[in-house]
Amino acid sequence: MPRGLVREILLLLCLALLPALGQAVYFRDRISWRQPAKQDEITVSQARNLTGPVMWLDARPEEEFAAGHIPGAKLLNAEHWDNLLPQVLNAWTPDQKLIVYCSKQSCDASHEVARRLREEANLKNVFVLAGGWEAWQESAK
Amino acid sequence: MINSKLATWAVRLLRLVIGATFIYAGVVKALSPIRFTNDIHNYRLLPWSMAVALAFYLPWLEIVSGLAVLLDRFHRAAVAILALLTIIFIIASAVARIRGIDISCGCFGHLSNHLSFAWHLGLDTVLLALLFALWRSKHLRRAITV
Repeated sequence: MPRGLVREILLLLCLALLPALGQAVYFRDRISWRQPAKQDEITVSQARNLTGPVMWLDARPEEEFAAGHIPGAKLLNAEHWDNLLPQVLNAWTPDQKLIVYCSKQSCDASHEVARRLREEANLKNVFVLAGGWEAWQESAK
Repeated sequence: MINSKLATWAVRLLRLVIGATFIYAGVVKALSPIRFTNDIHNYRLLPWSMAVALAFYLPWLEIVSGLAVLLDRFHRAAVAILALLTIIFIIASAVARIRGIDISCGCFGHLSNHLSFAWHLGLDTVLLALLFALWRSKHLRRAITV
């Protein structure tokens, strides 16, 4: 590789480092360098033992919801958020806890929907089902 | 003469498309580093602290390289960096897919959440092809002007 090209690559790599460092300093109180525990997660058994009414929210795509879902669950995914959120809010009562799930442990959609419910709809008592639909089915076996 | 102008405009258009795409992708991610950290960590290839570091660094690398392509400064170095990033992303996505991990790459913010794995792969392959064309832009100019 020509030396000039290597020098230019190093220069660009260093140039990008400056704003990145600035941003890291700016965000130092907002993001932890140690992995945070997912405090909003709830296991299937914990969810089953919850006292009081619960509303289940399915954050998966519509086709997966149609193929099977937790009894009584309502569809609320990012794809049709604007259409689905009013339906969910109409059906929700303030005493209900909300539990969001997606397909399995590695999916992120449930955390995203839970975050938006807290931030955009200003709801509290929003949980994420650890292991999602996969864990629910496992527990039913 | 006309062909020469056409070649120059073709390369300019290529630079505009690639530069704007990576600047956009970088800005979207730089605006939400926490979300991008989660996206990187979701691949389950890197520890959390490394995901945080990359979430701060990669967006700016995309922005700086995108600007370099757009402004035609150090453009071969920028194209090399962007091509390498794209290749790494394709490999990481493929590995995650093989391991059965359901990921949101976060490459283009909320816009990319609804794209399937095939779409991501297709888009990245197109980007890689465009980067290759830009890398060979002198030859491209020559091919059009001949």
